[in-house]
Amino acid sequence: MKEPRRLRSESRSPLEKAMLSAGMAYRSSPEARAKTLASLGLAGAVATSTGTAAAGTALAISKVGWGKWLMAATAVGAASAVPVGFWAWQSAEPVPEPIVQVSASRSGGEVKSSRELDTRAPGEFQRHPVSAEPSAKLAEAAPAAPLSVHPKSVPAKPVNRGAPLTAELGALDSARVALGGGDAAGALALLDAYGRDYPRGRLGLEAEVLRIHALARSGQKGIARKRAEAFLERHPNSVLASRVRGFTEE
Amino acid sequence: MSHVALIHAVQDPASSGLPLVGSQNDSPNLETASRAARLRQLVDLHIDFVARVLRNAGSPASEIDDDVQRTFIVAAKRLDDVRQGSEKSFLLQIALRVAAHARRTVARRREVSADESMEMVESAGSPEQLTDQKRARQMLDQVLDQMDSDLRTVFVLYEFEELNMAEIAEALSIPRGTVASRLRRARVDFRERVSWLERSPLAEVKP
Repeated sequence: MKEPRRLRSESRSPLEKAMLSAGMAYRSSPEARAKTLASLGLAGAVATSTGTAAAGTALAISKVGWGKWLMAATAVGAASAVPVGFWAWQSAEPVPEPIVQVSASRSGGEVKSSRELDTRAPGEFQRHPVSAEPSAKLAEAAPAAPLSVHPKSVPAKPVNRGAPLTAELGALDSARVALGGGDAAGALALLDAYGRDYPRGRLGLEAEVLRIHALARSGQKGIARKRAEAFLERHPNSVLASRVRGFTEE
Repeated sequence: MSHVALIHAVQDPASSGLPLVGSQNDSPNLETASRAARLRQLVDLHIDFVARVLRNAGSPASEIDDDVQRTFIVAAKRLDDVRQGSEKSFLLQIALRVAAHARRTVARRREVSADESMEMVESAGSPEQLTDQKRARQMLDQVLDQMDSDLRTVFVLYEFEELNMAEIAEALSIPRGTVASRLRRARVDFRERVSWLERSPLAEVKP
């Protein structure tokens, strides 16, 4: 059976060629790669204590245990990057829901028009803005505080949105390490700093998930639940949703 | 792997199966390290391919990052069942299932919000003036969304991923004759829709 020539090579229509080229030119974003590696439990851009290779990281687990493994682990994904095994190790906390679930859409959930579909060139991806509100004020916050950034809360010296993704990864990783070490208050402080430094950070969702976990660990379960509910309201189909859903049931 | 099992994995990536790297039940050893290395290589080599297939097969742009993650998470759980050299085909099957799920989710959202106003998409004027890749992508999305999903899948794999018909037949588990038939119809459909866009100053689409 003879194979037809590819349309792109035989088309005489500029519009057709442009559309076909657009389809072939699509690339994943740096964030997608970092988040994917994190969700798979693989080291990201930051060097581990035993080297940069993922293989080295895995070997280190046997030597230093789970707690210090978290220190060596990198990249984003916040709590979603933490394998189920770690939660079981932290026996004081119940094992949360599976790491990822492809959840069905919720009725009345967010609907996007075609205009909202991304028309940016490959690589230009914009994340939801992260709340810069310090954790200490959460006790006074209204229920289900919105996750949007208000201009007045933007710090006087925000970090350039074009800052390397690795800087954001490092900032979140520090908070994750603190939380993994039992220092929930320290993790919250680091997340506050992340919010100030990256008011429109590309890892805002990951930071919020980590914040919810830290709030619960610090005893602020009511606030954690409200933020979890707000997160699910805005991002019902996020791959991070399952990491948050458990807090709405507490 | 059966398609039933694959569908189940896509719908619930966290369902019981092989653990991800670093789970509590793993005994960290060379085998785990080797698996991690293989997994990392899988991501490095094929993430663009996966993202492109997802995007062109119907995953909304706003969900691409999540869908890429879902695809690789499912793949990681079944990696030990995949023979060396077949990873790309394996990822393709998963990505197509993830995209199909995403399309159904988007369709349900549209049903819920039936009162949304019609979206007006302006063509680029004369084809000769079309140089904006963003506009081309938007119009491509419009055309692909209007295609029958079976035709769209074959069209995407042939024209964008440049698979041959035998490879498409194997990936979709359909006869090669069916691939040829769908491709023929898809190309006619695509060209007719593009031709219509070229003639119309404005194109009305549903959100």
